[in-house]
Amino acid sequence: MGFIGKGLFDGMVVTARNFVGSYFDKERLVTVQYPEERVQTPENSRTFPFLVYDDDKSPVDTMRCVACKICEVECPPQCIYIVMDRDEKGKPRQRPKVFDIDISVCMQCQICVEVCPFDAIKMDNDYEKSQYGRFDELVEHLPDLLKSNEYYNRIKPTEASAVDAKLKAEKEKKAKKAAPAAAAKPAAAPKTTAPAAPASTASKPAAAAPAAKITIPEDAPFTPEQRQWLSGFLSTIPAGAAPVTGAPAPPAPGAQTPAAGAPTGDWPWHDPALGMQQRLDLAKSASLADKLMAAMAQTDCHACGYDCRGYADAIAGGAEKDLSLCLPGEAETADMLKKLMEEAGKA
Amino acid sequence: MIQPLTEGKRFTLVPGSEGLIETQKLEVSIGPQHPSTHGVFRMDCMLDGETVIALKPVMGYLHRNHEQLAERMAWLGSMPYTDRLDYFNSMTNNWAYALAVEKLAGIKVPERADYVRVIMSELTRILNHSCVIGFMLQDLGAWGTPLLYAFREREKILDLFEAVSGSRMMCNYMRFGGVRVDMTAKDLAAAKEIVSRFPHFLDEFEQLLTTNEVLLARTQRIGILPKELAINASISGPMARASGMEYDIRKIDKYGVYGRFDFRVPVGDVGDVYDRYYVRVLEMRESIKILQQALRDIPAGPHIAPEVKLRNFKIPPGDGYGRIEAPKGELGFYLVSDEGGKQPYRYHVRPPSFINLTTLEDMCLGHKVADVVIILGSIDIVLGEVDR
Repeated sequence: MGFIGKGLFDGMVVTARNFVGSYFDKERLVTVQYPEERVQTPENSRTFPFLVYDDDKSPVDTMRCVACKICEVECPPQCIYIVMDRDEKGKPRQRPKVFDIDISVCMQCQICVEVCPFDAIKMDNDYEKSQYGRFDELVEHLPDLLKSNEYYNRIKPTEASAVDAKLKAEKEKKAKKAAPAAAAKPAAAPKTTAPAAPASTASKPAAAAPAAKITIPEDAPFTPEQRQWLSGFLSTIPAGAAPVTGAPAPPAPGAQTPAAGAPTGDWPWHDPALGMQQRLDLAKSASLADKLMAAMAQTDCHACGYDCRGYADAIAGGAEKDLSLCLPGEAETADMLKKLMEEAGKA
Repeated sequence: MIQPLTEGKRFTLVPGSEGLIETQKLEVSIGPQHPSTHGVFRMDCMLDGETVIALKPVMGYLHRNHEQLAERMAWLGSMPYTDRLDYFNSMTNNWAYALAVEKLAGIKVPERADYVRVIMSELTRILNHSCVIGFMLQDLGAWGTPLLYAFREREKILDLFEAVSGSRMMCNYMRFGGVRVDMTAKDLAAAKEIVSRFPHFLDEFEQLLTTNEVLLARTQRIGILPKELAINASISGPMARASGMEYDIRKIDKYGVYGRFDFRVPVGDVGDVYDRYYVRVLEMRESIKILQQALRDIPAGPHIAPEVKLRNFKIPPGDGYGRIEAPKGELGFYLVSDEGGKQPYRYHVRPPSFINLTTLEDMCLGHKVADVVIILGSIDIVLGEVDR
């Protein structure tokens, strides 16, 4: 036991060792003088979400977000608010007009990042977000949220390069799959497929779908709006002309399911750039499943748990009863699906 | 227990002092803003002189409707909220919830994921215990020193948590069927480094505290919790073990891969504040042993069960209770899934802090008011978990 007060004395030895040691040993002096020096946060470190875009010249046009609203639904504290962008005619543009994140509500849980099928939303590591106000200042709007892929590569190199590789592989796969279909078409224009695309990494994955059919060359002098309209216009041509290869001819009663994995060219309506009416016109003479598919938003976002083809087949086959699962299509799609099903029931 | 002070009962005689002096009972409210209540918690003490004759814990100041919220959102959506129950130990909270869901849905967890979970939980345990000792000593009047030494060590573990999971405290790391991201070789090396250095810190910590005469005088024979009462009040964790209950869910349930590790369960014999302190020190040493074995044996393989969907995750109807040995005691999640199975029909948390807190009055009666804060500190509560 020793002498009385030995425990106290031993304790003093420890504190003295720590005090003196703090002058020599880095282990014992761990304080960082924050505003003057900063700790390098680890790569995985996360704070608030941001939206990734690919090209610095037009962030809004090259953002990966297609406004499918999966994150809005899945966000546990419901801090995301999205409004789909629409043109004058009310046709969805497959990108958000409003994308707000209330960072006073956001709890930095990263679930929006995990559920995003387009790698469009990622976690930032900027922790200096102090504001002088409590209300509007703490809501981040679309311009604040948009950050370049290059920035993403800088803050999280490992993760970002994996994402880039994944998107590139997906794009190549899509282009390869679409290539035979495009070649089979009589009106096949000079192709500019993914591998030849500029090295700005993946553009919007959804944009690969129109590129597969009749493609407007990348260097053609069109604004993005004109380009979008043109690709929509061009994709209507095959339906109006001679019967397209593989398109089901007479409207068959009951669900006729086309082979899974058929080339995109067989579904001319599978183009997010088209409006609802245009898509339905294209599928006018097709089967119920195809009509249902044409009513969807064509983003293949998997918000419903399927891709657009799978969801349509599931509804037509009776496996899926819920008609309100298409998030990017909003009420328009849900209403149209209901109408189509009612029509089919009457017929 | 506490009677309103009516006119007739205003003055009472302390037994043995008849005819000497008349004393007045005094009702003192400690908290909810008191620094030693570990959050927003209030103790309604009835004092006779300095002696506590009645004590009523008042809680609910940090109620956030956790259980009802969880019943309104998808299964995965509650995972980040479990971080905020016992905000010191988000890793073990995650595990308890994931374990309950895995039991209910019948998901098999890959071996590597289980090892990563063990590593994270045991790191959480040493983090929690060292800090709790620091807080307790802070309540004793040892201003800062032990607590800041503990925080210095804790910071190293939190750095590892941040590197692996992305966040220091609100890790949100575990997923149904595994963990969100795998630990890289670098992370494992960092964990090994922490584990190899921690015993040295613990030796120093013990040298500072274990035989310190002031600590002994203030903690021994204070706040005794008899074994029978501990069993009857379903106390769990280090508090139960300090009272002599050999009860550790890691040994009983052998959840995860705990059956493979060689470790002992420290048990106290008096059940006073000092035993609760020392059981925690010994538990940290056992945790280090588990960590060394886990870091040595961790196999390669997938870190998450591939069949588990992130979205549209549904569970067939049924109910399940998953429990783990959290640093504070038995943390359990009782879940009921009904038709549809998109979200829990019932979601109930069995928080160790809350249940352990129920014996506060029994431990405090007859002690001085200055001891109340140490006894409360030795229970180890986090109000996020008590109030939920």
